Amino acid sequence: MPERSAEPVPASLGDSLADGFDGRDESLPPADWGRPSGPRRTATVWLFAVFIVLLGVGEAWLSDRLTNEAFLAWATIFTAISLQAMPFLVFGVALSAALTAFVPASFWQRVIPKNAAAAVPVAGAAGAVLPGCECASVPVANGLIRRGVAPAAALTFLLSAPAINPIVLVATAVAFPGQPEMVAARFVASLGAAVVVGWLWARFGRTDWMRPQRVHHDPGATKWQVFADSMRHDLMHAGGFLVVGGLAAATLNVIVPRDWVIAVADMPVVSVLVLALLAILLSICSEADAFVAASLSEFSNTAKLAFLVVGPMVDLKLIALQAGTFGWTFVRRFVPLVLIATLVFSFAIGGLLL
Amino acid sequence: MNRIAQGLVLVLLGAASLSATLATDLYLNYVQEVFRPFLIGAGVVLVVLGVVSIAADVRVASQGGDAPEDHAYDDYAHAGHGHDHGRGPGVAWLLLLPVVAVFVIAPPPLGAYSASNGAAAEAPKEAEEGGFADLGTNGDGPRTMELQEFVMRAWTDQDRALSGREVELTGFVVPHPDGKGWYLARLQMACCAADAIVNRVLITGEKEPAKDTWWTVRGTWQEPKGELQDVRDHRFTVTEMKDVENPPDPYE
Repeated sequence: MPERSAEPVPASLGDSLADGFDGRDESLPPADWGRPSGPRRTATVWLFAVFIVLLGVGEAWLSDRLTNEAFLAWATIFTAISLQAMPFLVFGVALSAALTAFVPASFWQRVIPKNAAAAVPVAGAAGAVLPGCECASVPVANGLIRRGVAPAAALTFLLSAPAINPIVLVATAVAFPGQPEMVAARFVASLGAAVVVGWLWARFGRTDWMRPQRVHHDPGATKWQVFADSMRHDLMHAGGFLVVGGLAAATLNVIVPRDWVIAVADMPVVSVLVLALLAILLSICSEADAFVAASLSEFSNTAKLAFLVVGPMVDLKLIALQAGTFGWTFVRRFVPLVLIATLVFSFAIGGLLL
Repeated sequence: MNRIAQGLVLVLLGAASLSATLATDLYLNYVQEVFRPFLIGAGVVLVVLGVVSIAADVRVASQGGDAPEDHAYDDYAHAGHGHDHGRGPGVAWLLLLPVVAVFVIAPPPLGAYSASNGAAAEAPKEAEEGGFADLGTNGDGPRTMELQEFVMRAWTDQDRALSGREVELTGFVVPHPDGKGWYLARLQMACCAADAIVNRVLITGEKEPAKDTWWTVRGTWQEPKGELQDVRDHRFTVTEMKDVENPPDPYE
């Protein structure tokens, strides 16, 4: 009698159980469903509890033992940059999240011209209205792109808003009393550089250089949930990189000897490039940079102008923020372009007006 | 970085901002006084946002589910070049550094170290005509001035009204690099400590007090012989000096 069977005979009980288990696989949720999040969530809470205890121990035991002057000066400047930037970052992120959650996309399509070449100057001029420093403008530009504004126009706004907003222009006028041409030169050179970069980006820029910013929200989420989610997301991405920029700027602030900078002040072209480089390294907020520029009195006015035009558009903190928001592929192309445009405009406008 | 960790980071960051402004005056070591309401506002927003994030996560967990955002439902995440919306990037852990800086290090205001290495205020290029505050006369008693006001006046007032006028200045002691006297200095901050520049007067007639100690000195400006703007450091003749507790706002 031939051994025939409808099914292959299982070799063992274990195999039969395993087969049966495999067979039921599709009706079961994935193996990791719900499993890691519970313990992981608890572990996270414990981790933070330990961290907070360590903060307390550190405060009680370590605070008085840190006496190295250079380290403390570094820590002061790092804390200062972080604290000073934080309200602006929170404001910018909240504004960006509000654009995402509450302003319908159709509004932007009505207000901003469809044609990117026409939208760029509009966006550049809009920068003169909205007060905000560079930490705020990156998330706002990101929010605009999310809402369908042409990237070239949003980037023009990103560049012009911190450079030519009313607070910055007033600060510049206060820092350079009796020199209104300094304010005019700053306005013209910054707006010119921002618009030219925008046009170049509209003509040659590619969308896939920027990290995709489309965010899908739960269709059932309320507007406030979308707002909170978008804010948390932007804070995590931009905030971490802001700290990187703050660390770099504080380090350079403490280790670059001021005498080196002063030594080159008399060389005409080199001094302009040196102040541009200093603006990039120091990463001072655009609302304060005019006072610093005014204090660099050995330098020519064109060099100071370069400091004021380059600083709000290219600096370490800003590069880090942009990398966190748009990705390094974008930064590698955008930052050199902006740097060249700002330098060209600094030399040209400095030569014409100052 | 999962959602609950992000929420906790936000709460801690907000707490650092609130503790430096509401519980203590620590923020004055780093930024201008006008920043206080903005720091408080940012702190409150961060704490609220953090609590909302944690609460949402816990609510989803208690319903037996996983936070929906923990599954990549951003289309681009599947394409391999996007980021998952629910999970934070690793770099966000760095947001704990300012928290450590405020709670553990609590860095002191910049002092003599930065004043000897940082940027010193320089003579402005143009002299100003008039527009100066009336200094009164010595009969009115000594005039209290900020160091910043004093050195600017000394550099720019072609009428040299400061000459002979008794003035009171407050600042901290910075050693002279060559040991020829010492500086009474004060840091001037436009926005935050990163842009601080130092205003200082050179004192040669008095024995040098300990570095970084604060003094109020009374005396007069030593009028220079040549052009005002060629002066590197203005000199000050001290008639009387007394030590002071650190003023509440260390910067001018």
